[in-house]
Amino acid sequence: MIKLKFPTILLMAVLLFSCSSDSEEYDPIIEEPLPESPVNFDPESIPYPTLSEYNFFEGDMANLNPVYGVLPYELITPLFTDYAHKKRFVWMPSEQKASFIGDDKLFNFPEGTIIIKNFYYDNVLPENVTKILETRLLIKKDNQWVFAEYIWNEDQTEAILDMNGRNVPIEWLHNGQAKSVNYRIPSESECLMCHKTFGDAVPIGPKPQNINSIFNYSDGSENQMVKWEEMGYLDSNYPASISTTVDWEDSSESLDLRMRSYFDSNCAHCHSEGGHCDYRPIRLSFSETIAEENLGICVEPDEDISFWITDADPTHIVYPGDADKSVLFHRMNTTEDAIKMPLVGRKLIHDEAVLLVEEWINSLDTNCN
Amino acid sequence: MKSKITLLIIAFLSINTVFSQISFTTENIDVTGQYKICAVDMNGDYLDDIVSVSGTNINIHFQNENGTFTPQDFNTTPADNLPSWSLSAGDYTGNGYNDLIYGSSSGVTFMRANNNGTAYTEVSFPEFVFVQRTNFVDINNDGNLDAFACHDIAPNVYFINDGNGNLEFNQGGLGDVPVGGHYGSLWVDYNNDGNLDLFIAKCSGGGQGATAKFNELHRNNGDGTFTDVSVESGLRDAVQTWSSAWGDFDNDGFMDVLVGASSFSDGGHKLMRNNGDGTFTDITAGSGFDTFGGTSIEHATYDFNNDGYLDIFGNSNTLFINNGDFTFTTTTIPFSGAAIADLNNDGFLDAFQGNEIHYNSGNNNNWIVINTQGVESNRNGIGARIEIVSALGTQIRDVRSGEGFRFMSTLNTHFGIGQDTEIEQLIVRWPSGTIDVIENPEINTTHLIVEGQTLSVEENRLFDLTLSPNPVKDILALSTRENLIGAQAQIYDMSGRLVFSETLNSSTIDVSKVSSGVYVLNLDVNDQKAAIRFVKY
Repeated sequence: MIKLKFPTILLMAVLLFSCSSDSEEYDPIIEEPLPESPVNFDPESIPYPTLSEYNFFEGDMANLNPVYGVLPYELITPLFTDYAHKKRFVWMPSEQKASFIGDDKLFNFPEGTIIIKNFYYDNVLPENVTKILETRLLIKKDNQWVFAEYIWNEDQTEAILDMNGRNVPIEWLHNGQAKSVNYRIPSESECLMCHKTFGDAVPIGPKPQNINSIFNYSDGSENQMVKWEEMGYLDSNYPASISTTVDWEDSSESLDLRMRSYFDSNCAHCHSEGGHCDYRPIRLSFSETIAEENLGICVEPDEDISFWITDADPTHIVYPGDADKSVLFHRMNTTEDAIKMPLVGRKLIHDEAVLLVEEWINSLDTNCN
Repeated sequence: MKSKITLLIIAFLSINTVFSQISFTTENIDVTGQYKICAVDMNGDYLDDIVSVSGTNINIHFQNENGTFTPQDFNTTPADNLPSWSLSAGDYTGNGYNDLIYGSSSGVTFMRANNNGTAYTEVSFPEFVFVQRTNFVDINNDGNLDAFACHDIAPNVYFINDGNGNLEFNQGGLGDVPVGGHYGSLWVDYNNDGNLDLFIAKCSGGGQGATAKFNELHRNNGDGTFTDVSVESGLRDAVQTWSSAWGDFDNDGFMDVLVGASSFSDGGHKLMRNNGDGTFTDITAGSGFDTFGGTSIEHATYDFNNDGYLDIFGNSNTLFINNGDFTFTTTTIPFSGAAIADLNNDGFLDAFQGNEIHYNSGNNNNWIVINTQGVESNRNGIGARIEIVSALGTQIRDVRSGEGFRFMSTLNTHFGIGQDTEIEQLIVRWPSGTIDVIENPEINTTHLIVEGQTLSVEENRLFDLTLSPNPVKDILALSTRENLIGAQAQIYDMSGRLVFSETLNSSTIDVSKVSSGVYVLNLDVNDQKAAIRFVKY
């Protein structure tokens, strides 16, 4: 969908600047210097052995209260990770900013950018408490993205750098129902599996299409890109209208947009040119799923998965009108490692998404012949 | 005159029919495991059993002599890793019972059989491995079976056996591309130097410039080192593949390969002829694989119609019947990927997958099956090169664990010999360097070759000795053309201890007092000797 933002502050700034450049009689505008971020950033010694050394958060670290400069953000439709909640932040060194490349392209982030993603569960049993499991950092250093994985301790007071991965059994209440999973904290090679394009490590989420939305900041609601710009984190070169994903759970949006938004954040990192699975025919990024064949509609799969499915015989990746005959549906609706999709990052079935994909496939009426 | 011609034509047609005839009949089998991908002997009687695996159970349908199965469940501790990507079998403890490897997307679990095959112990490794194909193979050729696992997203891993049943985790040196792409490992002696080399069928995204998708061949130098000869061999190819079928398709004495495409995005199936000088030539054009439109993650080779030429299967319910000249004729069969084994002991290879056995209906071609038992070499004889010479030529096989991508097939070595009625010579070249030669082995039967058995006795080999029942409880019946009265019988346990010695006065031996376990019966009949393994329960 195309969404217009109203970056009023930006517009005013441009007008003021225009005036000032028109006539040299005017005093130059003195910009109020932005406060300095207390984040501890020493490119030589990162990644640090502990998360606390970055000083991203103030007070009790487990509250994830960001210091100035550590800006919270959210994706319009996030990746499903076994129902874990996520809190995302971005930080950039002073005087550095990202710039816009394309609606569906990662921002061009400056050297020193740190993208911070905390994974936690609420209502963790038996104490029914919030528990943070891990904090994943992507740090742009020497023009490359570096992974740093921090695993939180039991006391929730510190997180330790650990790139080897770990399984953490966890049980929690999900909508009042007890759920459990042997939660997977990824190793470095698992990180790279999804976070790579043409062999290079990259962030996945922070693209204009995924953050062009209103976020409820502590000082009020605002469009995230406008906020980034205000913070000095984003160059004003971005267009006024951006092709934007929708919240996959927003039933006021069309089924097509919800499904394509879900595919983008859950599948497109591998199913894109340069991605882990680009040798398979589907292309699932939001900007590419306008074409039906990229969604696998009426496309026969390379691999026959009927061996794993006893009660159905899927014939196409997506068979319009019949989820049961669609490989894509079966791959989402299973925990069998041999065929499940996504390949990593989940051990549970995303039941709500399976309902959506079923509804979406059954709503399609393309004739494959 | 006219009638004579007609008769000739009929005769010709019928022979032709015999040669190409291949059909399967499908029967259901009630296996209970979640992963129904394995058919291999598990109890040391060399009859292929059906193995299915779940998180806490190994369900084995033991094949009986009469082709029926006896199911048995072996409870295990909850396995850290399930064989969601591949399963392999091999006897790494050398106790006569095959152990299993489960390869999952999070790591490797071994299920180790105890010394009387009554229980399995889980040995799980904590290291993260996104496992693809697994193999049992004696990587360092020290006589102890090691294990190998392809890593999808990192350098490959392997487990070196210290000879006391302990496996040590290793990573590095056998396919080290940092982002992996390692899918289908297959250990084969491509240059006939007696050492098993490693071919890795590879698959990886990352765009046209990505390098992880290029297939690799690692030559075993025989001194514990390997050299990457992918480029010089001509096998470094970008085709997106999960498995390769290695066999001597033209019976010229060198292993050729069909590299099977899992996707056509970087090229199609490749049939590569081994030139015998360490290089391969692409001879896909005109082979039938150039025009075949199916893709698959499973490709493997067996001689299904026993005509003496290896066929290829695994793709789109199609059997590629080998015409012997690097061309293949397709025929539809009721399975794609499957575990291949002789599940009714009739000398024709059958297939197991899911809850189905596809029995090969057979034809009137002749065959021979070789079962290998290493002594100095690893117990299964994995890595042994077996050669038979008959009128149609010389055929070779390597004993291998872990064919295709996911499945585990028989470890017994099967040859068809077409209409040939005799085999001049059977040669087994063991990984240890020992060579056993058997002249004129009987056809249409199974031979157990114990490593070194022909060395000391040369021509004085008692070839036709068979034991029944096996496993045995009380009375072991011996069958041979020779008169057994007066023969010397000695029974050794697996540690080489003599537990029984007797001069026979009949063709039976009472083993009721021998405790349960695996033994070798050594028999000396007028200086003709035989050694046969049996199981006492």
